Amino acid sequence: MSLTRRSFLASFSSALALSQLPSLPAFAAAGDYRALVCIFLFGGNDGNNMVVPVDGRYADYRAVRGDGSSGGIGLPLASVMPLAQGAAAAQFGLHPQMAALGPVWDSGELALLFNSGTLLRPTTAAAYRARSTPLPMNLFSHLDQQIQAQSSISGIHCNTGWGGRMADALAGINLGAALPMVISTSGNVQFTAGNLGQALAIPASGSFGLAGVGGGYASGITAQFNKLLSLDRNKQSVIAAQNVVAAGEKASSLLTPILTGASVTDAAFASLNTGIANQLHQVARVIGANASLGLRRQVFFVGLGSFDTHAAQISTQANLLGQLAAAMRAFNDAMHLLGTSTQVTSFTLSDFARTLKPNSGGGSDHAWGNHQLIMGGAVRGRNFYGKFPSLALNGADDADGEGRWVPSTSIDQYAATLAQWFGVSSAAMPTVLPNIGSFATADLGFMQS
Amino acid sequence: MTLHTDLRPGAMPDAANKHSPIFSTPRLSRASGRIAARRGLVPFALAFVLMLFAALARAQSTPVSWIAALKGATPSATAPVSTADARRFLEQSSFGLTAAEVLRVQQLGLLAYLQDQFARPASGYPGFVYTNSNSSVGCPPGSPATCSRDNYSLFQLQRKFFVNAVSGADQLRQRVAFALSQILVVSGMKIPLPYAMANYQQVLLNDAFGNFRTLLDDVTLSPAMGRYLDMVNNNVAPPGGATGANENYARELLQLFTLGLVQLNPDGSTKLDANGQAIPSYTQDNIEDFAKVFTGWTFAPLPGQLAKWVDPENYGANMVAIEAHHDQTAKTLLNGFVVPAGGTAASDLKAALDNVFAQPNVGPFICRQLIQHLVTSNPSAAYVQRVAAVFANDGAGVRGNMKAVITQILLDSEARGDSKSDPSFGKLREPALFLAGMLRMMGGTTDGVFPLWQSNAMEQNIFDAPTVFSYYPPGYTLPGSTLSAPPFALFDTASAVLRANVINRLLSGPVAPDPSVSGATGTQIDLTAWQASASSAVMLTNQINQVLFHNTMPLDMALVLMQAINAVPSVDLFNRTRAALYLAFSSAQYQVEQ
Repeated sequence: MSLTRRSFLASFSSALALSQLPSLPAFAAAGDYRALVCIFLFGGNDGNNMVVPVDGRYADYRAVRGDGSSGGIGLPLASVMPLAQGAAAAQFGLHPQMAALGPVWDSGELALLFNSGTLLRPTTAAAYRARSTPLPMNLFSHLDQQIQAQSSISGIHCNTGWGGRMADALAGINLGAALPMVISTSGNVQFTAGNLGQALAIPASGSFGLAGVGGGYASGITAQFNKLLSLDRNKQSVIAAQNVVAAGEKASSLLTPILTGASVTDAAFASLNTGIANQLHQVARVIGANASLGLRRQVFFVGLGSFDTHAAQISTQANLLGQLAAAMRAFNDAMHLLGTSTQVTSFTLSDFARTLKPNSGGGSDHAWGNHQLIMGGAVRGRNFYGKFPSLALNGADDADGEGRWVPSTSIDQYAATLAQWFGVSSAAMPTVLPNIGSFATADLGFMQS
Repeated sequence: MTLHTDLRPGAMPDAANKHSPIFSTPRLSRASGRIAARRGLVPFALAFVLMLFAALARAQSTPVSWIAALKGATPSATAPVSTADARRFLEQSSFGLTAAEVLRVQQLGLLAYLQDQFARPASGYPGFVYTNSNSSVGCPPGSPATCSRDNYSLFQLQRKFFVNAVSGADQLRQRVAFALSQILVVSGMKIPLPYAMANYQQVLLNDAFGNFRTLLDDVTLSPAMGRYLDMVNNNVAPPGGATGANENYARELLQLFTLGLVQLNPDGSTKLDANGQAIPSYTQDNIEDFAKVFTGWTFAPLPGQLAKWVDPENYGANMVAIEAHHDQTAKTLLNGFVVPAGGTAASDLKAALDNVFAQPNVGPFICRQLIQHLVTSNPSAAYVQRVAAVFANDGAGVRGNMKAVITQILLDSEARGDSKSDPSFGKLREPALFLAGMLRMMGGTTDGVFPLWQSNAMEQNIFDAPTVFSYYPPGYTLPGSTLSAPPFALFDTASAVLRANVINRLLSGPVAPDPSVSGATGTQIDLTAWQASASSAVMLTNQINQVLFHNTMPLDMALVLMQAINAVPSVDLFNRTRAALYLAFSSAQYQVEQ
């Protein structure tokens, strides 16, 4: 029967992962705390308009993107916020709605990684066109590319994410903690799924939990409710449902005071009420309580959607990037208020970038390699990493003439640089990122050691 | 506690069902005796078991195979249907069972019941009228506070969805349309106009029992879909190609609405090439040429106006073609099929949809998802293959006959029977089905307000899905396993406890009408039919076992319910009933429909 085989495989993979658990790392000293916060931009954020060259390359950008008056989607040069690296003239700028992040850049706590994406091995545009190298499955498909960005596994189907696998690799460090290492404010997502444990999902704002049962049937009913969670554990789907409810009950009792009480971080988010700001505020509250929760490592996942700008991109993306920048800025401020700035690193991911060539609806279509933001006190900020693509259609980096950049850096390398900072040893790295050995370096240099 | 695993009355292999009472009597008695003795509950447990036997003995066995019947002899309209199977059938084919519908299924027989449902007109969404897309026009300054909610959010449409689900007579049509709405997705996230979304949902209701090819036509030309996936105002690329045709509809039509990413075998499994690799269903070049096919369409002109390129938003009629904006070049579609240059927007569209519809992938790709929405998250390959075969040919040479497909899905031997022994069978109840089903089983009436907010809180905001992949990804598997379990994507640690809270709220008294909603009646339940048996913990538990669990409630669970009932004084029928229903509806054992 297939279930027997499935169960066998499931238990096998758990056993395998357990045997690979490192012993408690030596750096687990008092005060040792690190957190990674994945900010996922659902729908495929147009990195080509998030980061715009402001040097001679602006002309290449403008030549393809056009501007609003001609049905194009290019941003005016004067509107882009230059990102200075020192005395020299700026080479790149951020989308005008992201001005809130200017001070974070200037303080050296924000970095940009150019043109990273899903890859099986180093790939050039020529190799892509000739199909002379293995490629990720189902490029340009939202769901597949979301899953691959979150799993960093692009050649086979898998159901874990690199956030969950980092937690597997470091499970020993949180030994005895009452909560899972991984928390999502965006429901169940692949990034948070590991082999060992179930991630926690908390609401995007406010608290959660079993409501008090009132009325004449209240006596002992919650005890009976809980008893049912421990019975009939003979069917995988029933067990899964029981485990989710039990984990939710337990977490809600621990987290409700943290999610509802006053927090040092409230001041940073006081003027914001967007979904992404609320989620990052939730994360900040939990980070602020890490000592009492007994957690030395945490991984968070927050999400912002509607980046699939096939039409009316100018206004839609401006709105979204404005929300994103304000929320990230508030989060950075909150980490300073908590004194955890150097212990917490946040970073963006998205399905894919969008074609540099606009479509006829004032939008752009699904593409590939994309630019990402990395923020925190441990980031070697005020700097650019990776290789900025040539912005010519059919140029050196274009897959097919539409401005779909073949990534020059893989998600594996992006993830490995973060995982290494987080504490994943090089020995354990292949269990977190099985494909990392296909690339020249596992450290892109954007994190302080 | 795995003692009971193979001892539940309903857990026998399907083949043994016909003789199950005799077959399993001694084993059941021993098991229940052991469990009950340990808990000091012998009298209740024994009585309960005796009642289970009585019920089982009354139940009639189901015909061995509906498949043979479908392919040859039509089953008799009066073929007997067991009570347990009638209840399972209604969970799969409606928004929840009622006592009256169970009787009706048994009176008519399954096939006649389906015929009756096929003939019922849609409850539908009448009364949603054109609204200017600009909310400052539709709700100028001085408008009542409800103007925006009622005209620029899906509130009223979601309300009507739950009113129809709880009380409409066209249950099967609604259920199939709801499944289709999660495959051919349009979301209020992008189009927050209730009249636009109502018109789209009406298309799905109207076409639910038609031909899938017709559905493709109607969905493709629907202005809501046009806007959602950007086919509307998709312009021919100018000479020189500074902009390209919009690829959005082209891609999702192929990826989500018809073919899927990879070529499939007739049983829905992935077809592999000589190197063991999956074979893509289409290429990026195909997408770009399909994108050219879908150029030249704009909104229908508003009454009294002439059509022009880029008409103002109008979701009251299908999109119209403006030939000057259609790409007339030749396009290479699937299997190398070439649409020659010079076609019109309509002729190219027809050729392209014919090309897609003829692909062998459509049947297994769509049918597997329909099975997942109606019956089980993990259909066997053979089940998918049987349904896909009916999709390919309904027996009269027609491809895409939805009535035949639905009949096969619901009457298939894998769907039917008093209980299912395969541990991977079944699915987690998704929020809307959980809410509507609960109300229907407890004699509930609603104006839709309470369930719409509750469904929203449980991450299923009706017709307002976060992405074109709908509320949850079709490929979601249980964490740490390969078991397909799409609705579990919505069942996380934050949302899961809400299910207990919502049943608690319903049992705590009527939900008052929202005074800001015209004609509001609130939401309430009527426990009369349940209280009738509440003087006896065994009888009430058995009633729940029969109605909610179609006679498969595990014995140890039954004991917990009886304990909870007996913790309330025996004269307090109301609170005994509430205690039992709270535990039963909130249990994982119930949440996973089996």
